[in-house]
Amino acid sequence: MALKIGIDVGGTFTDFVVTRDDAEPAIFKTLSTPSDPSIAVVNGLTDIAASMNPPLTLEAFAPTIDTIVHGTTVTTNATLTGTGAKCGLLTTEGVRDALEMRRGIREEQYNNRYTNVKPLVPRYLRAGITGRLDRHGAETTPLDLAQIKQAIALFKQEGVQAVSICFMNSFANPAHEQAAAELVKKEMPGAYLSVSTDLLPSIRFYERVSTTALNSYVGPKLNHYLDQLVGRLKGIGFNSLLLIMQSNGGVITPQLAREKAALTLLSGPAGGPGAGLFYVRLHGQNKCITTDMGGTSFEASVAVDAPMIKNDGEIARHKIALPMLDIHTIGAGGGSIGWLDEGGMLRMGPQSAGADPGPACYSKGGKLPATTDANVVLGYLDPGFFAGGRMKLDAAAARAAIEEHIAKPMGLSVEEAAAGMYRVACNNMAQGVREVTIKRGFDPREFPFIPAGGAGPIHSCLICSELEIPLQIVPRESSVLCAFGMLMSELKHDFVRTFVARLEAIDWARLTAMIDEMSADGTRQLVEERIAEERRRYEVKFDCRYIKQYHEVSFTVPRELIDARDTVAIARAFNAEHNRLYGYSLEAENTPIEIINVRVQAIGITDKPTYRQEAWAGADASKAMKGKRSMYIPETKGFRETPVYDGHKMHYGNRITGPAMIEQVTTAIFVSDAYDCAIDALGSFVIWQKGREDLAKACFKDNKEALV
Amino acid sequence: MSATKIDPILLSVYARTFKSITDEMSISMEQTTRSPILCEAKDYVTGLYDADGNMLEQTENLPILAFSLAPVCKYIKEYFGDEIYPGDVIFHNDVFSLGNQNNDVAAFKPVFFEDKLVAWTAVKGHQADIGGNVAGGYNPNAVEVWQEALRIPPVKVVERGKLRKDVWNLIFANVRLDIVQHDMKAEMGACTVGERRLQELLKKYGVESYEAHKQALFDATRKMMEAEIAKIPNGNYSGEGYVYFDGRFVGSKYTIRVDIEVRDKHIKFDYSRTDPQTNGFVNGTFTSSASATILTLLQMVNPDIPHNEGMVQPIEIVIPSGTILNAAYPKATTFGNHLCPPNADAIQRALAPVMPDRVTAGWNNLLASLTTGIDPGNNEKYVDIGFMGLKGGSGAMRGTDGYDHIGMIDASGGVLDQDYEMFEQQTPHTLIKHELLTDSAGAGEWRGGLGVETIFRIGSDNTQLVTFGDGDFEPAFGLFGGGEGGLNFIRLHYPDGQTVVPKNKDLITGVPMGTTYHQVASGGGGYGDPKKRDRKLLAEEIRNGVITAEAAKRDYGYEAA
Repeated sequence: MALKIGIDVGGTFTDFVVTRDDAEPAIFKTLSTPSDPSIAVVNGLTDIAASMNPPLTLEAFAPTIDTIVHGTTVTTNATLTGTGAKCGLLTTEGVRDALEMRRGIREEQYNNRYTNVKPLVPRYLRAGITGRLDRHGAETTPLDLAQIKQAIALFKQEGVQAVSICFMNSFANPAHEQAAAELVKKEMPGAYLSVSTDLLPSIRFYERVSTTALNSYVGPKLNHYLDQLVGRLKGIGFNSLLLIMQSNGGVITPQLAREKAALTLLSGPAGGPGAGLFYVRLHGQNKCITTDMGGTSFEASVAVDAPMIKNDGEIARHKIALPMLDIHTIGAGGGSIGWLDEGGMLRMGPQSAGADPGPACYSKGGKLPATTDANVVLGYLDPGFFAGGRMKLDAAAARAAIEEHIAKPMGLSVEEAAAGMYRVACNNMAQGVREVTIKRGFDPREFPFIPAGGAGPIHSCLICSELEIPLQIVPRESSVLCAFGMLMSELKHDFVRTFVARLEAIDWARLTAMIDEMSADGTRQLVEERIAEERRRYEVKFDCRYIKQYHEVSFTVPRELIDARDTVAIARAFNAEHNRLYGYSLEAENTPIEIINVRVQAIGITDKPTYRQEAWAGADASKAMKGKRSMYIPETKGFRETPVYDGHKMHYGNRITGPAMIEQVTTAIFVSDAYDCAIDALGSFVIWQKGREDLAKACFKDNKEALV
Repeated sequence: MSATKIDPILLSVYARTFKSITDEMSISMEQTTRSPILCEAKDYVTGLYDADGNMLEQTENLPILAFSLAPVCKYIKEYFGDEIYPGDVIFHNDVFSLGNQNNDVAAFKPVFFEDKLVAWTAVKGHQADIGGNVAGGYNPNAVEVWQEALRIPPVKVVERGKLRKDVWNLIFANVRLDIVQHDMKAEMGACTVGERRLQELLKKYGVESYEAHKQALFDATRKMMEAEIAKIPNGNYSGEGYVYFDGRFVGSKYTIRVDIEVRDKHIKFDYSRTDPQTNGFVNGTFTSSASATILTLLQMVNPDIPHNEGMVQPIEIVIPSGTILNAAYPKATTFGNHLCPPNADAIQRALAPVMPDRVTAGWNNLLASLTTGIDPGNNEKYVDIGFMGLKGGSGAMRGTDGYDHIGMIDASGGVLDQDYEMFEQQTPHTLIKHELLTDSAGAGEWRGGLGVETIFRIGSDNTQLVTFGDGDFEPAFGLFGGGEGGLNFIRLHYPDGQTVVPKNKDLITGVPMGTTYHQVASGGGGYGDPKKRDRKLLAEEIRNGVITAEAAKRDYGYEAA
């Protein structure tokens, strides 16, 4: 009976998912404690201990936990709020401003008041050091150690907490960086140190220096937090495995997270996409769109066999070039504020009321109308049953805010205005989904849609109508999907090296040695993490492009092809991926292909919780019906008495016809007129477009034997 | 039509959907074109127009393309009259029938719904070659359009869904590179993407609703624009901008003169007093010059105004034919887009007294170079557009410093530097310096954006260097007591000790290996009295070395404690 707990720290709530083999997962939520997030972790564990049968003290409970997987946004928040460490940078003479110039971009071209982002290291602490490598890594000017010593003296005098080292062309030869690192370690033993070639030994100077500087910027904060967390957990008697979520959807040990803090920068939503896959497999699917609607933002991502990965991204306008899940975020959430632009047109967000003061209906001082206020007016949220009744919503305040700011100026009734807010918000989210599907060469209609986050499933029918998506699956754990996903995550370690060559002229001995070195580094870490040999996997990717192109396409290369040195098959794989992404390949023209980077991901398969499937409960859902309530039906643009079901009483096979509302303590699910719903064997709410029963066969009696 | 009730919520949905359609067309272009100026520099525009050619929405990746399609669309509609059929595709580039630049070739596709012409989708992109005397179309010696490009007045390459092979072949028989055929097909594909999505939308809501709501959308946007114009006091305002060297006569100088008339909700830009056209290629076209005018104005108003017909309705632009901003047939015009900076200067200067909190001081003018040669490492030809070197600072405005290292106003930060390490892989050059240039910003209560200094060692023999631009005679101007930026330059220090200073529009051949290339793209102009600049900021900037203590004392009267 392995006991595993996934803990996801969010801005307002800290989510917990508790799993034991062959038992239904349990969900807990506790208020976050931003000044020291580890306090909420212990508070939640206390609640969980008390809920045990028989109830346990924390000290009795903690030693029985086998694994805690923890997602933290400490690094994310430090970057977004500009509260990272005081940093110094050692870089090559002549290019010390690359970090600040960001290749000369201004994201808003028509906005002359749009200013550049504050650099992670101020200019006077960016030291350009004499010493140069050419494009092949050969030294053309020796490194000036005296200059480095001078810079270190300045760093010490200025109270620098973290130092970054990034030299030109170091991807081809780390010697200069290593020499500089030795000096820093000796002279500043207490400082946090990031060396570009340890973190990201691949070509592209701006990407590398920005990533390295980010690592230093957040490293000290994460270390401080992990000290607190590990200390508290030890204090209550927890001595088993603690794993930390990273942006690539995998987990790592706290020790590695301390060294490579930047790996956690975009880890907040990274548990979701993998969890989505878990639920769709029951329906014979290997792909899905996972979305997460929170208070301020809406996140969307695609998984096909595994969540989509990208090799770089951005945080607070700083480039970070570490592999991460391809998750697109837009400013749309329950707190998104509705407003009229100067032309009198209704807009939703991106400004958000957040959790504090929150939407007007929270009665915490918010006076502006938010998405949640519209949900109340439209009857989707029961003011008496929000968060299972733990929080009362003020419907009158919601109406008043919409009346004043939207309805009156637009000459609409409050209901019409609320319906408009709902529609515009859903339209915004649908466009966000287009970003991760159409833009990446996927047709959204072919993907099951997983709406997560407390407010997600109220909006998903309209989003799916907009995109013509016929199938939705709402997991029972949808309100804590990320925490759940963390428990499903593997240990993942990414390595990259730059290797520039024409595909047909590869020095295979060198390339294979490089791959073996990276794999060996991976093995070393997996061994430290006590992963047995049969649970280790290695995935090799090449980043290639047609010559004279500017961007590479990353694609998986099976080890057999490398061992067989089969460039023809490798080229074919590249052409196919290029064609999928961009709609063409240059295979027929025989355009030469060049390899730029080679990547290895070392994977340690973790123990997953196993799930008990529910027993067949029949199609009749009438026992779960709580009553009826008037709510807005988008298809007919009017209010209708609509049945309300208690989701906790619905079980495998129960079937209902839309429109209907399904309420659980942490989620409400709105099934609109165009959809029907049934429960599958994992307890998920499966919602299909009327007439498309074929997509939900796994929920019907004739098929139940075929499932198990 | 007028009977249809306007649903204010549906209006938002239409606006958002139009935007998402042109964005999707833009993504299709990014993903299917092959020439780097399209898929990398994104020098293209995608748009949606109503049956009469009024702009419904547009995604222009570079602001200079803001106004480049709608006028042509109207012209094409008139040109073909009632001979427009479902499945047609029409090409166009002709600068003497409202094209903006020879190399910018457009594809237009009429959109039909229930047998009625309801809209147009269109894409225009900078093609890698379009015939003429010189590959790529940059011909500083041209005096007539035929030395620059193949003229394509409106021509149907596809009629009723059938490719007109003869017409297609006639065009591409006059173009050097096969990649252009591919990229024009990409433009046609993007038009089809837009056509399909618009038809889906019409299926959902019907033509009547579409017609009524698009009109309401124009009206709402027009009101936003009119409200912005109404903030400018009524009156007549004039300003000048200067063009140095026409590529032919050393010492030549031309003046752009704009007379702006503001009457309530209407604004008129009249360029009648602008100098005559040049005899070389330093001439604008009506469309490129009008785009420059509009983008400059757009930067002074609410940046959220949607880009549709309503936005341009309150704006009138008069540019007589035969002036440097609107050359008469058959003059050469390749340099036309680069007349945007002096045009913007003229407008900023004219409006500064009445819109003191909206205008910026002068931006650094573009001076750019392109190097080509054979990389001795692999014996292959390389071509490098020196993006990193050309990006100077923008002008300051009241309350906001200029943006450092942003580059010309026509792109406004939309074109990126090469990555340093990729630069060293793709060329034989070695980068020595690319840093913000100390003391380059115009002083002011709000300083100009800093310029940038670029030094690299040329790694190939017999290297060819093309320069184009300005900004080496007159620095970016300051406003309201703000100081000027610095001057641009490009200098070549040959290994034998000789220094060559190319003209701002020049071709230098035979540059030897080991030559040091040195370029400054200087800073933008400052705004307001430097004495009033925040002293804490100055102290920080001295510490950061973006200004020297001497300059702080000289220009700001600041002495460190």
